[in-house]
Amino acid sequence: MTGAPHQFFWEHRPVEFEASDSIAAALVRAGIVDFGSRPDGSGARYFCGIGACQACVVSVDGVLVEACLTPAHAGQQVRPARGSVP
Amino acid sequence: MTVRDVIVIGGGPAGVAAAAELGRAGLEVTLCEQGSALGGAIHRQAGDPSRSVPVPSAQSARWRRLQAALAATKAEILTRHAFAGLDGTGAVLIEDRGRGRVISMRAKALVLAVGGLERVMPRPGWHLPGVMTAGGMQLMMKATGRAPAGAVLLAGSGPLLLAVAAQMTVLGNPPVAILERSRQVLSPLRAARLLLRPAYIAEAAGYMARLFRAGVPWRLGATLQALRPTGAGRLEAVIVDAAGVESRVTVDKVALHDGLRSSSDRLPVAAPGRDGQPLVVMAGDCREALGGLAAIADGRKAAHDVIAQLLGGAPDSAADNQVIDGERQAQRTLAGLFDFGSGDLSVLPDDTILCQCEGGTVGDLKRLLASDDRPSPREVKLNGRFGMGACQGRFCVEWAGVLMAQPTGGPQPSAADFAGRRWPMRPLAITSLLDAVADDATLPASSEESD
Repeated sequence: MTGAPHQFFWEHRPVEFEASDSIAAALVRAGIVDFGSRPDGSGARYFCGIGACQACVVSVDGVLVEACLTPAHAGQQVRPARGSVP
Repeated sequence: MTVRDVIVIGGGPAGVAAAAELGRAGLEVTLCEQGSALGGAIHRQAGDPSRSVPVPSAQSARWRRLQAALAATKAEILTRHAFAGLDGTGAVLIEDRGRGRVISMRAKALVLAVGGLERVMPRPGWHLPGVMTAGGMQLMMKATGRAPAGAVLLAGSGPLLLAVAAQMTVLGNPPVAILERSRQVLSPLRAARLLLRPAYIAEAAGYMARLFRAGVPWRLGATLQALRPTGAGRLEAVIVDAAGVESRVTVDKVALHDGLRSSSDRLPVAAPGRDGQPLVVMAGDCREALGGLAAIADGRKAAHDVIAQLLGGAPDSAADNQVIDGERQAQRTLAGLFDFGSGDLSVLPDDTILCQCEGGTVGDLKRLLASDDRPSPREVKLNGRFGMGACQGRFCVEWAGVLMAQPTGGPQPSAADFAGRRWPMRPLAITSLLDAVADDATLPASSEESD
Protein backbone atom coordinates (compact mmCIF):
# COMPACT_ATOMS: atom_id res chain seq x y z
CA MET A 1 0.00 0.00 0.00
CA THR A 2 1.75 3.15 -1.15
CA GLY A 3 -1.26 5.38 -1.77
CA ALA A 4 -1.51 8.57 -3.82
CA PRO A 5 1.61 10.53 -4.80
CA HIS A 6 1.09 13.11 -2.05
CA GLN A 7 -0.16 10.98 0.79
CA PHE A 8 1.45 9.28 3.72
CA PHE A 9 -0.31 7.32 6.42
CA TRP A 10 -0.91 8.32 10.02
CA GLU A 11 -2.02 5.21 11.85
CA HIS A 12 -3.14 3.81 8.48
CA ARG A 13 -5.22 6.90 7.69
CA PRO A 14 -4.12 8.84 4.57
CA VAL A 15 -2.72 12.34 5.16
CA GLU A 16 -2.20 14.75 2.25
CA PHE A 17 1.08 16.65 2.06
CA GLU A 18 2.60 19.29 -0.18
CA ALA A 19 6.04 19.26 -1.73
CA SER A 20 8.71 19.96 0.91
CA ASP A 21 6.27 19.60 3.83
CA SER A 22 7.70 18.12 6.99
CA ILE A 23 5.66 15.30 8.47
CA ALA A 24 4.74 17.62 11.35
CA ALA A 25 3.48 20.36 9.01
CA ALA A 26 1.29 17.92 7.09
CA LEU A 27 -0.13 16.36 10.28
CA VAL A 28 -0.95 19.74 11.84
CA ARG A 29 -2.55 20.97 8.60
CA ALA A 30 -4.70 17.82 8.62
CA GLY A 31 -5.88 18.80 12.09
CA ILE A 32 -3.75 16.20 13.88
CA VAL A 33 -2.00 18.00 16.74
CA ASP A 34 -1.82 15.05 19.13
CA PHE A 35 0.99 12.78 17.89
CA GLY A 36 0.21 10.05 20.43
CA SER A 37 2.78 8.91 22.98
CA ARG A 38 6.54 9.02 22.97
CA PRO A 39 8.64 6.03 24.02
CA ASP A 40 8.71 7.32 27.62
CA GLY A 41 4.91 7.56 27.67
CA SER A 42 4.68 11.37 27.57
CA GLY A 43 2.53 13.08 24.96
CA ALA A 44 3.96 13.79 21.52
CA ARG A 45 3.19 16.96 19.60
CA TYR A 46 4.82 19.71 17.57
CA PHE A 47 6.53 22.20 19.90
CA CYS A 48 9.88 23.85 19.04
CA GLY A 49 10.20 23.16 15.31
CA ILE A 50 14.01 22.82 15.39
CA GLY A 51 14.54 19.31 16.71
CA ALA A 52 15.62 20.56 20.13
CA CYS A 53 12.65 19.50 22.28
CA GLN A 54 12.16 15.98 20.89
CA ALA A 55 8.43 16.38 21.59
CA CYS A 56 7.40 15.52 18.02
CA VAL A 57 9.19 12.17 17.84
CA VAL A 58 7.12 9.71 15.83
CA SER A 59 7.79 6.42 14.10
CA VAL A 60 8.29 6.66 10.34
CA ASP A 61 8.51 3.25 8.70
CA GLY A 62 9.64 1.86 12.03
CA VAL A 63 12.36 4.46 12.72
CA LEU A 64 11.96 7.06 15.48
CA VAL A 65 12.51 10.56 14.07
CA GLU A 66 11.52 14.16 14.80
CA ALA A 67 8.41 14.89 12.70
CA CYS A 68 9.50 18.55 12.41
CA LEU A 69 12.81 17.65 10.71
CA THR A 70 11.62 14.79 8.53
CA PRO A 71 10.38 15.46 5.01
CA ALA A 72 7.08 13.86 4.06
CA HIS A 73 7.24 11.23 1.32
CA ALA A 74 4.52 9.24 -0.40
CA GLY A 75 3.57 6.02 1.31
CA GLN A 76 5.39 6.58 4.61
CA GLN A 77 3.82 4.71 7.51
CA VAL A 78 3.76 7.21 10.38
CA ARG A 79 2.67 6.15 13.85
CA PRO A 80 2.98 7.30 17.44
CA ALA A 81 6.45 6.44 18.71
CA ARG A 82 5.21 4.32 21.57
CA GLY A 83 4.34 0.79 20.71
CA SER A 84 5.03 1.38 17.04
CA VAL A 85 8.39 -0.24 16.58
CA PRO A 86 7.88 -3.46 14.64
CA MET B 1 40.92 9.32 7.50
CA THR B 2 40.63 12.51 5.50
CA VAL B 3 41.20 15.61 7.61
CA ARG B 4 39.22 18.55 6.32
CA ASP B 5 40.29 22.09 7.06
CA VAL B 6 36.99 23.15 8.61
CA ILE B 7 33.60 21.66 9.39
CA VAL B 8 30.87 24.25 9.91
CA ILE B 9 27.73 23.09 11.70
CA GLY B 10 24.51 24.95 10.97
CA GLY B 11 23.22 26.49 7.74
CA GLY B 12 21.71 29.63 9.23
CA PRO B 13 23.19 33.11 8.80
CA ALA B 14 26.16 32.53 11.13
CA GLY B 15 27.15 29.20 9.58
CA VAL B 16 26.71 30.36 5.99
CA ALA B 17 28.63 33.60 6.66
CA ALA B 18 31.44 31.58 8.28
CA ALA B 19 31.57 28.99 5.48
CA ALA B 20 31.61 31.69 2.80
CA GLU B 21 34.41 33.61 4.50
CA LEU B 22 36.45 30.44 5.11
CA GLY B 23 35.96 29.27 1.53
CA ARG B 24 36.96 32.68 0.20
CA ALA B 25 40.22 32.37 2.14
CA GLY B 26 40.93 29.13 0.27
CA LEU B 27 40.16 26.69 3.08
CA GLU B 28 38.41 23.40 2.41
CA VAL B 29 35.02 23.66 4.10
CA THR B 30 32.18 21.22 4.76
CA LEU B 31 28.92 22.85 5.86
CA CYS B 32 26.43 20.56 7.62
CA GLU B 33 22.77 21.52 8.01
CA GLN B 34 20.20 19.36 9.84
CA GLY B 35 17.28 20.55 7.70
CA SER B 36 16.57 19.99 4.03
CA ALA B 37 17.71 23.48 3.00
CA LEU B 38 19.97 26.25 4.22
CA GLY B 39 18.52 29.35 5.87
CA GLY B 40 18.17 28.51 9.54
CA ALA B 41 15.11 29.63 11.46
CA ILE B 42 15.30 33.25 10.33
CA HIS B 43 15.69 32.64 6.60
CA ARG B 44 13.48 29.57 6.29
CA GLN B 45 11.99 29.56 2.80
CA ALA B 46 8.53 28.35 1.81
CA GLY B 47 8.44 25.02 -0.02
CA ASP B 48 6.16 26.71 -2.54
CA PRO B 49 7.79 30.09 -3.40
CA SER B 50 4.42 31.60 -4.38
CA ARG B 51 3.34 31.22 -0.74
CA SER B 52 6.23 32.98 0.93
CA VAL B 53 5.68 34.82 4.20
CA PRO B 54 6.49 38.54 4.10
CA VAL B 55 9.72 39.44 5.91
CA PRO B 56 11.51 42.82 6.05
CA SER B 57 13.16 43.45 2.66
CA ALA B 58 16.57 44.16 4.23
CA GLN B 59 16.39 40.68 5.77
CA SER B 60 15.75 38.91 2.46
CA ALA B 61 18.48 40.99 0.78
CA ARG B 62 20.98 39.87 3.45
CA TRP B 63 20.12 36.25 2.83
CA ARG B 64 20.51 36.63 -0.96
CA ARG B 65 23.96 38.14 -0.43
CA LEU B 66 24.98 35.31 1.91
CA GLN B 67 23.81 32.66 -0.54
CA ALA B 68 25.73 34.33 -3.36
CA ALA B 69 28.88 34.56 -1.24
CA LEU B 70 28.64 30.86 -0.37
CA ALA B 71 27.95 29.85 -3.96
CA ALA B 72 31.16 31.62 -5.00
CA THR B 73 33.19 29.15 -2.91
CA LYS B 74 33.85 25.43 -3.28
CA ALA B 75 32.31 24.64 0.11
CA GLU B 76 30.76 21.20 0.34
CA ILE B 77 27.16 21.44 1.56
CA LEU B 78 25.57 18.48 3.34
CA THR B 79 21.89 18.97 4.11
CA ARG B 80 20.01 16.66 6.49
CA HIS B 81 23.30 16.19 8.32
CA ALA B 82 22.99 16.99 12.04
CA PHE B 83 25.74 17.50 14.59
CA ALA B 84 25.83 14.55 17.01
CA GLY B 85 28.91 15.53 18.98
CA LEU B 86 32.67 15.80 19.32
CA ASP B 87 34.13 12.65 20.81
CA GLY B 88 37.15 12.25 23.06
CA THR B 89 39.45 11.50 20.14
CA GLY B 90 38.48 14.73 18.36
CA ALA B 91 36.25 13.03 15.79
CA VAL B 92 33.27 15.12 14.70
CA LEU B 93 30.18 12.90 14.69
CA ILE B 94 27.56 13.80 12.13
CA GLU B 95 24.20 12.08 11.81
CA ASP B 96 23.30 11.50 8.19
CA ARG B 97 19.53 11.68 8.63
CA GLY B 98 18.71 10.45 5.15
CA ARG B 99 20.65 7.21 5.63
CA GLY B 100 20.08 6.91 9.36
CA ARG B 101 23.73 6.50 10.28
CA VAL B 102 26.48 8.40 12.00
CA ILE B 103 29.53 9.57 10.06
CA SER B 104 32.81 10.24 11.81
CA MET B 105 34.76 13.16 10.30
CA ARG B 106 37.97 14.94 11.21
CA ALA B 107 38.85 18.58 10.75
CA LYS B 108 41.45 21.06 11.88
CA ALA B 109 38.69 23.38 13.03
CA LEU B 110 35.03 23.06 13.94
CA VAL B 111 32.70 26.06 13.76
CA LEU B 112 29.49 25.55 15.73
CA ALA B 113 26.65 27.73 14.49
CA VAL B 114 23.67 25.67 15.64
CA GLY B 115 21.43 28.56 16.69
CA GLY B 116 19.97 29.62 20.00
CA LEU B 117 17.08 28.23 21.97
CA GLU B 118 13.68 29.68 22.63
CA ARG B 119 12.76 30.24 26.25
CA VAL B 120 9.30 29.16 27.33
CA MET B 121 8.28 29.56 30.96
CA PRO B 122 6.37 26.64 32.38
CA ARG B 123 2.66 27.16 32.89
CA PRO B 124 -0.04 24.64 33.76
CA GLY B 125 -0.98 22.95 30.49
CA TRP B 126 2.05 24.04 28.45
CA HIS B 127 2.65 20.39 27.55
CA LEU B 128 -0.70 19.91 25.81
CA PRO B 129 -1.08 19.21 22.07
CA GLY B 130 -1.76 22.47 20.24
CA VAL B 131 0.67 24.41 22.46
CA MET B 132 3.96 25.28 20.76
CA THR B 133 6.71 27.85 20.87
CA ALA B 134 6.11 31.06 18.91
CA GLY B 135 9.31 30.35 17.00
CA GLY B 136 8.03 26.88 16.16
CA MET B 137 4.74 28.33 14.95
CA GLN B 138 6.59 30.91 12.86
CA LEU B 139 8.84 28.26 11.29
CA MET B 140 5.86 26.19 10.26
CA MET B 141 4.25 29.31 8.83
CA LYS B 142 7.39 30.23 6.87
CA ALA B 143 7.83 26.70 5.55
CA THR B 144 4.22 26.17 4.49
CA GLY B 145 3.24 29.74 3.62
CA ARG B 146 0.05 29.30 5.61
CA ALA B 147 -1.14 30.71 8.91
CA PRO B 148 -1.91 28.12 11.57
CA ALA B 149 -5.59 27.17 11.36
CA GLY B 150 -8.21 27.92 13.99
CA ALA B 151 -8.29 30.38 16.87
CA VAL B 152 -4.72 31.12 17.99
CA LEU B 153 -3.54 32.85 21.17
CA LEU B 154 0.01 34.22 21.51
CA ALA B 155 1.43 34.72 25.00
CA GLY B 156 4.62 35.51 26.87
CA SER B 157 6.87 38.42 26.07
CA GLY B 158 8.93 39.79 23.25
CA PRO B 159 8.99 41.31 19.79
CA LEU B 160 8.73 37.86 18.20
CA LEU B 161 5.08 37.68 19.34
CA LEU B 162 4.37 40.85 17.35
CA ALA B 163 6.17 39.51 14.28
CA VAL B 164 4.30 36.20 14.37
CA ALA B 165 0.97 37.98 14.86
CA ALA B 166 1.62 40.33 11.95
CA GLN B 167 2.63 37.45 9.65
CA MET B 168 -0.49 35.49 10.65
CA THR B 169 -2.58 38.56 9.86
CA VAL B 170 -1.06 38.93 6.39
CA LEU B 171 -1.71 35.24 5.75
CA GLY B 172 -5.37 35.68 6.63
CA ASN B 173 -5.76 34.36 10.18
CA PRO B 174 -4.94 37.03 12.77
CA PRO B 175 -4.50 35.73 16.33
CA VAL B 176 -7.27 36.13 18.90
CA ALA B 177 -4.90 38.27 21.03
CA ILE B 178 -1.29 38.78 22.05
CA LEU B 179 -0.77 38.58 25.80
CA GLU B 180 2.38 40.60 26.54
CA ARG B 181 3.62 40.21 30.11
CA SER B 182 5.49 43.53 30.11
CA ARG B 183 3.47 46.58 31.12
CA GLN B 184 6.02 49.09 29.95
CA VAL B 185 6.78 48.38 26.31
CA LEU B 186 5.28 51.67 25.28
CA SER B 187 6.85 53.75 28.03
CA PRO B 188 8.05 56.80 26.11
CA LEU B 189 11.27 57.24 28.06
CA ARG B 190 12.44 53.72 27.39
CA ALA B 191 11.14 53.71 23.83
CA ALA B 192 13.22 56.82 23.12
CA ARG B 193 16.37 54.81 23.68
CA LEU B 194 15.27 52.45 20.96
CA LEU B 195 15.48 55.33 18.50
CA LEU B 196 19.15 54.49 18.43
CA ARG B 197 18.17 51.58 16.21
CA PRO B 198 15.82 52.96 13.54
CA ALA B 199 15.52 49.60 11.76
CA TYR B 200 13.94 48.03 14.84
CA ILE B 201 11.49 50.90 15.22
CA ALA B 202 10.45 50.67 11.58
CA GLU B 203 9.95 46.91 11.74
CA ALA B 204 7.94 47.08 14.98
CA ALA B 205 5.87 50.02 13.73
CA GLY B 206 5.01 48.08 10.58
CA TYR B 207 3.87 45.08 12.60
CA MET B 208 1.86 47.20 15.03
CA ALA B 209 0.10 49.15 12.28
CA ARG B 210 -0.93 45.88 10.63
CA LEU B 211 -2.21 44.46 13.91
CA PHE B 212 -4.07 47.66 14.76
CA ARG B 213 -5.83 47.64 11.38
CA ALA B 214 -6.81 44.00 11.86
CA GLY B 215 -8.09 44.75 15.37
CA VAL B 216 -5.73 42.31 17.10
CA PRO B 217 -5.49 43.24 20.78
CA TRP B 218 -1.94 43.56 22.15
CA ARG B 219 -2.73 43.22 25.86
CA LEU B 220 0.10 44.71 27.88
CA GLY B 221 0.52 43.31 31.37
CA ALA B 222 -1.71 40.32 30.58
CA THR B 223 -0.47 36.84 31.36
CA LEU B 224 -1.54 33.34 30.48
CA GLN B 225 -2.08 31.60 33.83
CA ALA B 226 -3.11 28.15 32.69
CA LEU B 227 -4.30 26.02 29.80
CA ARG B 228 -6.83 23.25 30.15
CA PRO B 229 -7.98 20.75 27.56
CA THR B 230 -11.64 21.01 26.62
CA GLY B 231 -13.44 17.81 25.73
CA ALA B 232 -13.52 18.80 22.07
CA GLY B 233 -9.75 18.86 21.57
CA ARG B 234 -9.53 22.61 22.13
CA LEU B 235 -7.73 24.59 24.82
CA GLU B 236 -9.28 26.80 27.48
CA ALA B 237 -6.88 29.63 28.37
CA VAL B 238 -7.07 31.36 31.75
CA ILE B 239 -5.90 34.96 31.34
CA VAL B 240 -5.14 37.51 34.05
CA ASP B 241 -4.97 41.10 32.82
CA ALA B 242 -2.86 43.99 34.09
CA ALA B 243 -5.58 44.92 36.63
CA GLY B 244 -5.65 41.35 37.96
CA VAL B 245 -9.00 40.51 36.36
CA GLU B 246 -9.35 36.91 35.23
CA SER B 247 -11.00 35.87 31.98
CA ARG B 248 -11.21 32.74 29.86
CA VAL B 249 -11.06 32.10 26.16
CA THR B 250 -11.24 28.86 24.20
CA VAL B 251 -8.77 28.49 21.35
CA ASP B 252 -7.29 25.84 19.06
CA LYS B 253 -3.60 26.66 19.30
CA VAL B 254 -1.36 28.59 21.67
CA ALA B 255 2.13 29.91 20.93
CA LEU B 256 4.40 30.72 23.88
CA HIS B 257 7.60 32.76 23.90
CA ASP B 258 9.70 34.25 26.69
CA GLY B 259 12.76 35.40 24.78
CA LEU B 260 15.74 33.64 23.27
CA ARG B 261 18.97 32.40 24.77
CA SER B 262 22.25 30.98 23.64
CA SER B 263 22.88 27.24 23.67
CA SER B 264 26.60 27.53 24.38
CA ASP B 265 26.28 25.91 27.79
CA ARG B 266 25.74 22.51 26.24
CA LEU B 267 28.09 22.66 23.27
CA PRO B 268 31.53 21.09 23.36
CA VAL B 269 34.43 23.40 24.07
CA ALA B 270 37.93 23.14 22.67
CA ALA B 271 40.36 20.90 24.53
CA PRO B 272 43.57 22.71 23.63
CA GLY B 273 46.69 20.66 23.41
CA ARG B 274 44.93 17.32 23.18
CA ASP B 275 45.96 15.28 20.22
CA GLY B 276 43.48 15.20 17.39
CA GLN B 277 41.14 17.80 18.90
CA PRO B 278 40.07 20.47 16.45
CA LEU B 279 39.98 24.16 17.21
CA VAL B 280 36.34 24.79 18.28
CA VAL B 281 34.69 28.17 17.70
CA MET B 282 31.05 29.10 18.31
CA ALA B 283 29.23 31.63 16.15
CA GLY B 284 25.83 33.29 16.07
CA ASP B 285 22.89 32.83 18.42
CA CYS B 286 24.32 29.62 19.90
CA ARG B 287 27.21 31.70 21.29
CA GLU B 288 25.13 34.74 22.25
CA ALA B 289 21.51 35.32 21.23
CA LEU B 290 21.79 38.62 19.36
CA GLY B 291 19.66 37.90 16.30
CA GLY B 292 20.21 37.46 12.59
CA LEU B 293 22.18 40.61 11.82
CA ALA B 294 24.76 39.96 14.53
CA ALA B 295 24.89 36.28 13.51
CA ILE B 296 26.32 37.19 10.10
CA ALA B 297 29.03 39.36 11.67
CA ASP B 298 29.71 36.71 14.29
CA GLY B 299 30.02 34.00 11.64
CA ARG B 300 32.60 36.09 9.76
CA LYS B 301 34.42 36.79 12.99
CA ALA B 302 34.56 33.07 13.82
CA ALA B 303 35.94 32.45 10.33
CA HIS B 304 38.61 35.07 10.95
CA ASP B 305 39.65 33.28 14.16
CA VAL B 306 39.97 30.02 12.24
CA ILE B 307 41.87 31.66 9.37
CA ALA B 308 44.31 33.25 11.83
CA GLN B 309 44.98 29.83 13.39
CA LEU B 310 45.20 27.76 10.23
CA LEU B 311 46.70 30.21 7.75
CA GLY B 312 48.31 32.79 10.01
CA GLY B 313 47.80 36.51 9.71
CA ALA B 314 45.23 38.57 11.52
CA PRO B 315 42.06 39.18 9.48
CA ASP B 316 40.33 42.40 10.46
CA SER B 317 37.11 41.88 12.41
CA ALA B 318 36.66 45.52 13.46
CA ALA B 319 33.55 46.12 11.33
CA ASP B 320 32.03 42.85 12.52
CA ASN B 321 32.76 43.70 16.15
CA GLN B 322 30.99 47.00 15.67
CA VAL B 323 27.86 45.26 14.37
CA ILE B 324 27.92 42.76 17.23
CA ASP B 325 28.34 45.51 19.85
CA GLY B 326 25.47 47.49 18.32
CA GLU B 327 23.16 44.48 18.31
CA ARG B 328 24.15 43.65 21.89
CA GLN B 329 23.10 47.16 22.89
CA ALA B 330 19.81 46.79 20.98
CA GLN B 331 19.08 43.47 22.68
CA ARG B 332 19.77 45.05 26.06
CA THR B 333 17.29 47.81 25.28
CA LEU B 334 14.69 45.28 24.14
CA ALA B 335 15.26 43.20 27.29
CA GLY B 336 14.48 46.36 29.29
CA LEU B 337 11.24 46.97 27.40
CA PHE B 338 9.96 43.42 27.41
CA ASP B 339 9.78 41.08 30.38
CA PHE B 340 11.99 38.05 29.90
CA GLY B 341 12.46 37.79 33.66
CA SER B 342 11.97 34.38 35.07
CA GLY B 343 8.92 35.57 37.00
CA ASP B 344 7.82 34.00 40.21
CA LEU B 345 7.76 30.32 39.48
CA SER B 346 6.96 29.56 43.12
CA VAL B 347 3.32 30.51 42.42
CA LEU B 348 2.97 27.62 39.97
CA PRO B 349 0.64 24.90 41.27
CA ASP B 350 2.57 21.80 42.38
CA ASP B 351 1.03 19.67 39.65
CA THR B 352 2.45 21.92 36.90
CA ILE B 353 4.62 19.85 34.60
CA LEU B 354 8.20 21.11 34.60
CA CYS B 355 9.84 18.36 32.57
CA GLN B 356 7.78 17.87 29.42
CA CYS B 357 9.73 14.77 28.46
CA GLU B 358 9.10 12.67 31.53
CA GLY B 359 6.31 14.52 33.30
CA GLY B 360 8.24 15.62 36.42
CA THR B 361 6.25 18.35 38.20
CA VAL B 362 7.05 21.48 40.18
CA GLY B 363 5.91 19.55 43.26
CA ASP B 364 8.28 16.68 42.49
CA LEU B 365 11.18 19.13 42.39
CA LYS B 366 10.08 20.93 45.56
CA ARG B 367 9.90 17.62 47.44
CA LEU B 368 13.37 16.71 46.24
CA LEU B 369 14.72 20.10 47.34
CA ALA B 370 13.02 19.89 50.74
CA SER B 371 15.18 16.97 51.86
CA ASP B 372 17.65 17.68 54.68
CA ASP B 373 20.54 16.90 52.42
CA ARG B 374 19.89 19.54 49.77
CA PRO B 375 20.67 18.02 46.36
CA SER B 376 23.15 19.48 43.88
CA PRO B 377 22.01 20.19 40.30
CA ARG B 378 23.67 16.94 39.29
CA GLU B 379 21.63 15.03 41.90
CA VAL B 380 18.47 16.81 40.80
CA LYS B 381 19.17 15.41 37.37
CA LEU B 382 20.16 11.91 38.45
CA ASN B 383 17.56 11.43 41.20
CA GLY B 384 14.78 13.76 40.08
CA ARG B 385 15.32 13.18 36.37
CA PHE B 386 15.09 16.92 35.56
CA GLY B 387 17.34 17.33 32.54
CA MET B 388 17.49 13.57 32.01
CA GLY B 389 14.78 13.31 29.36
CA ALA B 390 14.97 13.30 25.59
CA CYS B 391 15.39 17.10 25.26
CA GLN B 392 18.38 16.84 27.61
CA GLY B 393 17.02 19.65 29.76
CA ARG B 394 16.81 22.25 27.03
CA PHE B 395 13.30 23.22 28.14
CA CYS B 396 13.37 22.57 31.89
CA VAL B 397 16.73 22.96 33.62
CA GLU B 398 16.69 26.77 33.41
CA TRP B 399 13.45 26.73 35.40
CA ALA B 400 14.61 23.96 37.72
CA GLY B 401 17.61 26.23 38.38
CA VAL B 402 15.34 29.20 39.16
CA LEU B 403 13.30 27.09 41.58
CA MET B 404 16.50 25.84 43.24
CA ALA B 405 17.94 29.34 43.65
CA GLN B 406 14.70 31.14 44.63
CA PRO B 407 14.41 30.13 48.30
CA THR B 408 18.12 30.44 49.06
CA GLY B 409 18.85 33.57 47.03
CA GLY B 410 21.97 31.73 45.92
CA PRO B 411 23.37 31.65 42.41
CA GLN B 412 21.26 29.96 39.78
CA PRO B 413 22.82 26.72 38.52
CA SER B 414 23.56 26.63 34.80
CA ALA B 415 22.47 23.99 32.32
CA ALA B 416 26.04 22.65 32.35
CA ASP B 417 25.78 22.20 36.16
CA PHE B 418 22.86 19.83 35.59
CA ALA B 419 23.73 18.05 32.43
CA GLY B 420 27.39 18.63 31.66
CA ARG B 421 28.65 18.79 28.11
CA ARG B 422 28.59 15.44 26.45
CA TRP B 423 27.65 13.80 23.23
CA PRO B 424 25.36 12.80 21.64
CA MET B 425 23.72 16.20 21.35
CA ARG B 426 20.38 14.46 20.69
CA PRO B 427 19.05 10.96 21.16
CA LEU B 428 20.50 8.73 18.44
CA ALA B 429 19.39 5.28 17.37
CA ILE B 430 21.87 2.70 18.64
CA THR B 431 21.83 1.19 15.17
CA SER B 432 23.04 4.47 13.67
CA LEU B 433 26.04 4.36 16.02
CA LEU B 434 26.72 0.66 15.41
CA ASP B 435 26.95 1.49 11.74
CA ALA B 436 29.11 4.56 12.35
CA VAL B 437 31.54 4.92 9.51
CA ALA B 438 34.58 7.00 8.81
CA ASP B 439 33.34 9.36 6.12
CA ASP B 440 36.06 8.57 3.60
CA ALA B 441 35.42 4.86 4.01
CA THR B 442 32.27 5.12 1.96
CA LEU B 443 31.99 8.65 0.67
CA PRO B 444 34.52 10.22 -1.64
CA ALA B 445 35.57 13.54 -0.12
CA SER B 446 34.19 15.41 -3.11
CA SER B 447 30.77 13.77 -2.99
CA GLU B 448 27.89 16.17 -3.34
CA GLU B 449 24.82 15.41 -1.31
CA SER B 450 21.45 16.97 -1.64
CA ASP B 451 18.46 15.80 0.33
